[in-house]
Amino acid sequence: MPKHIFRLVSLIIGIVVVAAIAIPFLTVDSFYRFGHYRADSVSEIAAQEPAYQTSRYCQSCHAARHAQWSAGNHKTVTCEVCHGAAQGHPGNGKLPIPRDVARLCTLCHEAMPGRPATQPQIQVAQHSGGQQCNVCHNPHSPKIAIAAAKVAGDAAAGKQRAAACASCHGADGTSPNDTWPNLAGQSAAYLARILAAYKSGDQKDVAMTPLAQALSNADIQNLAAYYAGQSCKSPARGGGDVAAGRALAKNCAGCHGETGAGGNPAWPKLAAQKPGYLANALKAFKAGLRKDPMMAGVSRGLSDADIANLAAYYAAQTCQPTK
Amino acid sequence: MELLNNIAHYTGWVYPNETVFEWSVLIAVYPYLTGLVAGAFTVSSLYQVFGFQRLKPVAHLALLTSLCFMVFVPTPLLLHLGHPERAFNSTITPHLTSAMAMFGFFASFYVVLLILETWFAYRPFIVEQAQKRTDLLGRFYRLLTLGSYDLSEKAMRYDRKWIFSLAIIGIPAAHGLHGYVGFMYGSLKSREWWSSDLMPVVFLFSAIISGVSLLAVLYVVTCKLRKVPIDLACLKGLGYTIWGFIMVALVLEGLEFANIVYKGREGVEMIMQYVTGPLLVPYFILQMAIGAITPLILLSYMIWRGTTGRALIAGVTLCASLVLMSVFMMRWNVVIGGQEISKTGKGLLSYNPLIFGKEGLFMAIALTFAPLGALWLISRVFPPWTDGAAASHGH
Amino acid sequence: MKNDTKPASAARREFLGKLGRATACAGAVAGALGVLQEVSAKTETASPGASFPTKDYDWTKHQWAFGVDATKCIGCLRCVEACKRENKVPLNAHQFRTWVERYVYLEGDENARIDSQQDPVNIEASGSQKEYRFANRYKDAKVEKAFFVPKLCNQCTHPACVQVCPVGATYRTEDGVVLIDHTYCIGCRYCVQACPYGARYFNEEEGVSDKCTWCYHRITKGLQPACVEVCPVGARVFGDRKDRESPVSLFIRNNRVQVLKPETGNAPNVYYVGIDKEVN
Repeated sequence: MPKHIFRLVSLIIGIVVVAAIAIPFLTVDSFYRFGHYRADSVSEIAAQEPAYQTSRYCQSCHAARHAQWSAGNHKTVTCEVCHGAAQGHPGNGKLPIPRDVARLCTLCHEAMPGRPATQPQIQVAQHSGGQQCNVCHNPHSPKIAIAAAKVAGDAAAGKQRAAACASCHGADGTSPNDTWPNLAGQSAAYLARILAAYKSGDQKDVAMTPLAQALSNADIQNLAAYYAGQSCKSPARGGGDVAAGRALAKNCAGCHGETGAGGNPAWPKLAAQKPGYLANALKAFKAGLRKDPMMAGVSRGLSDADIANLAAYYAAQTCQPTK
Repeated sequence: MELLNNIAHYTGWVYPNETVFEWSVLIAVYPYLTGLVAGAFTVSSLYQVFGFQRLKPVAHLALLTSLCFMVFVPTPLLLHLGHPERAFNSTITPHLTSAMAMFGFFASFYVVLLILETWFAYRPFIVEQAQKRTDLLGRFYRLLTLGSYDLSEKAMRYDRKWIFSLAIIGIPAAHGLHGYVGFMYGSLKSREWWSSDLMPVVFLFSAIISGVSLLAVLYVVTCKLRKVPIDLACLKGLGYTIWGFIMVALVLEGLEFANIVYKGREGVEMIMQYVTGPLLVPYFILQMAIGAITPLILLSYMIWRGTTGRALIAGVTLCASLVLMSVFMMRWNVVIGGQEISKTGKGLLSYNPLIFGKEGLFMAIALTFAPLGALWLISRVFPPWTDGAAASHGH
Repeated sequence: MKNDTKPASAARREFLGKLGRATACAGAVAGALGVLQEVSAKTETASPGASFPTKDYDWTKHQWAFGVDATKCIGCLRCVEACKRENKVPLNAHQFRTWVERYVYLEGDENARIDSQQDPVNIEASGSQKEYRFANRYKDAKVEKAFFVPKLCNQCTHPACVQVCPVGATYRTEDGVVLIDHTYCIGCRYCVQACPYGARYFNEEEGVSDKCTWCYHRITKGLQPACVEVCPVGARVFGDRKDRESPVSLFIRNNRVQVLKPETGNAPNVYYVGIDKEVN
């Protein structure tokens, strides 16, 4: 064989041999252990730290909140959905509390074609008028769970007892002046609830508190039944811009109905109510003198002019005949 | 963080992850380069193995062209990879189920083969230069001789056998180097436009016509630059080769397209909308009408009429240039076109190539023409010409 | 030339040279064979008793699967955001490990109108590429049928992506999850092309391909994937098929389930309930 051929072949064989020897040395550790990949990679991936910690992690410090949440119907929405991943918390500081709540809540609850009917959905503008959701709803237990309690009172007995109330509230439940509210045609469940609140001290009023304390529970039921059965009178007039009030009242429709009649019976009907009373009540809610967390939130943003307009609007509505 | 590359516009419905084009124009340049490599080597083999004596004037030029383009073949890939420094992973731990893993082996084997064949072809020239020169280049030649100045009859017989064997082995090697690319596309289930048994063969035959056309153009241009007469028999031989292989390539490409349309699988409406819309000019007009059918008709005419002389030179050069354009459009239409049809079968995207940047149009053009620069350089060291003073080296 | 008889010393030198080269070659080949032997010995299953991949988790004891109930999905996209946070997915609207598609048929439509998080209208509704929201674009339209379909990597049993990876950077684990080795991937994106479901994307910052891993780092610790954890309506179901009472086993057993693109032969492991002819 000519020299150059021999040298060429040796050179080629040499390179091939060097490559063959080099390849095992160049192959990374743990490759081929379980297959055609680097086995250590599996362990490395498995060792990564999770960002989301689950609600069990939150429970260890936030036990009360966790209990409230897990008893409510947002228990399928874990804490970290709204507050962000808890990795590093509390060491890294607080987790964010959502500010633009409506933007967050409407992600799930805005009525949208394609969402199954089992999902609670709202038409945003009509439901809250752009108001923040947590004004009425507690995000950790969002269902407004006041069910109208059944009132099983005797209207006749209530009528007898109501004689004592007539001086302020009128003989048939229609108040003679602007300050004290009409009771005729009011929701029985609401009347029972508010009387009980005055009696127990949950709600305080200079006039109502001693009067309510003198009532028995049966009295309360009877009075509620009696007044609920009374016919309410025609709309009243009051200072304030009805049209402006109508615009504001969109926010109230969710609980009180569009015209202040026909909403959830757990809450008071507002239609044809005395405007002076309505205005005072709103101011009292705003100031915290009359206690109700939902009403406090709703009234917080109302100016005196707004209050007057709302009062005028509701006063001008026709109340529906009692059922 | 915002995306670095541009987002593709789309119509209809596409998967969210599809709005970023993963394979850019460089991935169309890559099979174009390997195609030229395979095609140029085919010309060399037609002479060395199949005895087409009339192609002797371009035999060495073909070899050098193949080598120069081969050197640049990895560059579009390296520029594209997210981790080019890990490129050798596919050679150290090749995943044998992947066609792409074959690249390292085909490429290395073929580069070595090309270098060997060039070495053998030029050995008498190398020996002569080693003995004659005293400068730095002389040292280079002496190194290449591997210390042997044996040009005896026995040695030359060995050399001829080696050249012949290498040329034979080189045919499947070169075609494997380019054919695996076609298989890479044809074997995928995810895109109807790519998924075809014919894809490797279509790639191969279009590669052959591109390589032969490149040689035709290079031969004419270099003869003009060196002011030597063009061997018309050689040029006509190249023309015949292009003519024959264009017909096969057209039949195969036509079959592939006809299959898609005829079978009419789910998603075919989107393909038809695409082909008659955005792809009308690049596919039917540039690749087919201007780039393939026109050269075919022109070559047929020249063969029928026995055209010769300057008309033949002009005609073959024109056809070769059109074919070169057509084959690039074919790579573009496959690589980019395939990605423009969504995997959903319900949408189309549009590719907006970057002009600058490591995967931009300028880079694509640079990578396509850089091998020609390398060819110019290497022809100073290993002159491929068979005429004039440098005709003393062996075949 | 040099073919004439050589002096004896030159001939000896030549012989010794040949012998030396031959010995070196033989030695090298023997060494290579020895080393290769050692390499091939590595291809075996782990020694019994050593728990892999972590000491608390043995991958031979689980076979993971995923279920999607498209009748429950409300399209809130909490899963999309949680996944991005959990897995550090690039914060843009064009690269996702998981996403949700909306299918809407308006009255008179033959085909569904389909959109997802990359749609410019939806990007505008959320206001940024880092937060995700479906624009309520059909609220005033006559919608005949509409639903949401969450999508993610199907962790196929015969993955096309694993088949085409040239280096072995992506692979299927013993417990049924397809993972990517970010230190080995060369970034060629062949796997991204090969996936028929569009589940993969290329992470430009890291220079590697990426995709959903069913939160492998969570499921090996007894947690659920992040998207399953945050879904408020139970549209995503996860569990171990080796446990007959796991959520996903019950899901598969109690429902008529189907998979996406079964004709590919990839054998996906995400089971869908409640999808439609248009979903693919």
